[in-house]
Amino acid sequence: MIDVFLLIGLPYLALVTALVAGVWRWRNRRYSLSARSSQFLEDRQLLWGSAPWHIGIIIVLLGHIVAAAFPQIWAAILTVPGAVFAIETVGVAASLLAIVGLCTLVVRRLTSARLQAVTTNADLIVVALLLAQILLGLITATDFRYGSVWSTGTVVPYFWSIVTLHPEMSYVVDFPMLFKLHIVGGWLFILVLPFTRLIHLLAVPLTYLWRAPQLVVWNNARRRQHAVVATIKAESRRAFLKGSAAAAGATGLMALGVSEKLANFFKGPRPDPEAESELLKKKLERLQQTAQERQLELERQRNNYIFVARYGELSETKGKYFTDYAMAPGLAFRGKDGLPIVLSAKCTHLGCTVGSEVDGQGRVLCPCHISYFSIATGQPNDGAPAKLPLPPIGWALMDEAGKEVAARRPGQPLQGKVDAELFKKCGLYITKPVKSA
Amino acid sequence: MSVKEAIKNVEAYVGERFPVEKMNYASMVQKKEVPVHRLSWGYYMGGLALFLFIVQVLTGLMLLFYYQPTVSDAHASVEYITEHVPGGALVRNIHSWASSMMIASVMIHLLTTFAMKAFARPREVTWITGVALLGITFAFGFTGYLLPWHQIAVNATKIGLQTIEEIGQYLPGELATWPRAIKETIQGEASVGQATLSRFFALHVIILPLSIAALLGIHLLSVQLHGMSAGVDEPPKRKEKFFPTFFLKDLKVWGVAFLVLFILGLCVPFESFFAYPLFSPFDPKGSTPDGIKPEWYFFWVYYPLELLPFWMIMLGQAALGAVLVATPWIFQNTNRRTLRLLAVAAGIYLLVMTLFGENIYHLFKG
Repeated sequence: MIDVFLLIGLPYLALVTALVAGVWRWRNRRYSLSARSSQFLEDRQLLWGSAPWHIGIIIVLLGHIVAAAFPQIWAAILTVPGAVFAIETVGVAASLLAIVGLCTLVVRRLTSARLQAVTTNADLIVVALLLAQILLGLITATDFRYGSVWSTGTVVPYFWSIVTLHPEMSYVVDFPMLFKLHIVGGWLFILVLPFTRLIHLLAVPLTYLWRAPQLVVWNNARRRQHAVVATIKAESRRAFLKGSAAAAGATGLMALGVSEKLANFFKGPRPDPEAESELLKKKLERLQQTAQERQLELERQRNNYIFVARYGELSETKGKYFTDYAMAPGLAFRGKDGLPIVLSAKCTHLGCTVGSEVDGQGRVLCPCHISYFSIATGQPNDGAPAKLPLPPIGWALMDEAGKEVAARRPGQPLQGKVDAELFKKCGLYITKPVKSA
Repeated sequence: MSVKEAIKNVEAYVGERFPVEKMNYASMVQKKEVPVHRLSWGYYMGGLALFLFIVQVLTGLMLLFYYQPTVSDAHASVEYITEHVPGGALVRNIHSWASSMMIASVMIHLLTTFAMKAFARPREVTWITGVALLGITFAFGFTGYLLPWHQIAVNATKIGLQTIEEIGQYLPGELATWPRAIKETIQGEASVGQATLSRFFALHVIILPLSIAALLGIHLLSVQLHGMSAGVDEPPKRKEKFFPTFFLKDLKVWGVAFLVLFILGLCVPFESFFAYPLFSPFDPKGSTPDGIKPEWYFFWVYYPLELLPFWMIMLGQAALGAVLVATPWIFQNTNRRTLRLLAVAAGIYLLVMTLFGENIYHLFKG
């Protein structure tokens, strides 16, 4: 019976009373919607009482409100490993902070005659209720562990059953008396809210956070002067704090982002085995390519002849690239007379590799700065950036037995004889240039 | 003139350029003032170049953790940075963008200091070290370009080095072989290969940074010792304190520069301005890609080189170098109005050649 009254009757009594009285006070006593600040009478102790009290109680209240309003989200947050411990720890710490602040406020009230003059009985009731309620909550939190977890299935549905006018007290009726008293305390606050200074909960001065500071001063010339100075000081402090906060925030965010990127950069990728083998394959290919280069180089240092192509592979319209003795590119064609044409393919202008396609006028093109070189003479066209001809490279045609059939070395006449039938069996080689002494 | 007098003169000369009595915090930071006038923006260009250099050092050090300077691995490692390392593409892209921005800002810095006559006595040392820093910055660009070892990089380097050899044809007798010997010394071998890569790598990451640090030290010391040059002929109406006012403004410019750099680095791949596929590794037997040209900051000399006889460009280069080094003495009596005109003319030339060089080339060469 007593449970029915405390858990169903009292809530509705509290809600209806609060609604009616609250609206009445809102309409008829607008200017009484305040915390009735006593900052003017005493402000030293107030700081050390009010600040911890409000910080603590706001954190605790927010926890209650979020859990009650968004039980699903709340439960989802709690599934994060360590979240329960963190939330419980913060809750206990915040309530301890609130208790310390409240005690400071009580002591302040009781030790100052000025304050006692403005203290009402309602204030004392509120303080006693608050203290009792926080202690009950703290004991619940430590004795019946992890209320943040079990409340979503018990108190929260009970709360919503009351609010939605389908009262269902079975959710909470079997709790120990200690916790039921905590619930009752909550309804009591709603009941006394419109009759006490607690009404300031509904008049939260949120604009305080961004509005310009207002100083309330006694109105005389000296005080006004003082107020101007104080305002300037407060303003500049505010500007400085705002700037510092912005700078610190930006720096912090940037440091966070940069260090995350940096850490990952130096940690390096962790490719999966397939990607890793792909990479390794590519690296190996490049190594083999380099090894091949080195091989060519060694060959050119050791051998007097380097194979270019079979004679039959040579064409009049498309040159065959090879690497000459200077490790530079060369081109081999078949001339109109049936003899091979072997030229350096390194442009005499700025060293690009000339193209291998022969155009209608028997020229190849260096694409870099547009020089056409006649393959018959090596000469560039008139007005080309290149002034010097492509130098000819000494060549020899050798048969399978390794006997020179025909050869031409730069600056020397053709050796051997032209024999198309014999040529077909030959390979084209370049010959080692004779070092000038 | 006796030896004693000569020594005294040298002492006086050095003393004026490096005044020991000013080498303290009070006169180098606290008392320093920056004139405020319509050319004041020029005062930020040097700081901007410094900031971009710092960015280059940091991103360069990061790239150094993955880059491998060998012919077989260089290209693969750059590819690895771009495609696999977390944030690697961003770091490399910022390095590329900042290199171009740094060169642009030092070029503008040169023109503005010239126009403001910031080289005049006693700031000769500042100017000379600045010219040397400019050269080093270009050298950074040239050596860094080779390191990815792709088709364009190697061929462009070949062409660049070839110009040294070309000088030989104008030299008489035995001297004619010297440019080739010099080129091969720089290259380390007969053609651009592993030796060149190793040398360019050493230059790019050790030698040039060390020399730039040393010269930058002297440059910045002189700037702080002598304060900002007046910049305009008429006496300045207003001055602001270097520290903290100008310093904070400088930091603001740096912040904006970083923002621009970061967004560019994040959103626009530096390579997107090239018309050819950049990412084929260098193949010694392959043909040089069509339409190959150097980085934009060499256009001002590259396109004239394409259009005019080689010896003309070489003479012009030599003359330009000589004028730059001798500027504090050549222009010591010129007023700032004339200097401004010269700087504007040079600026227009650089701008036109950089933006429209190719069009001009096609205009004359079809």
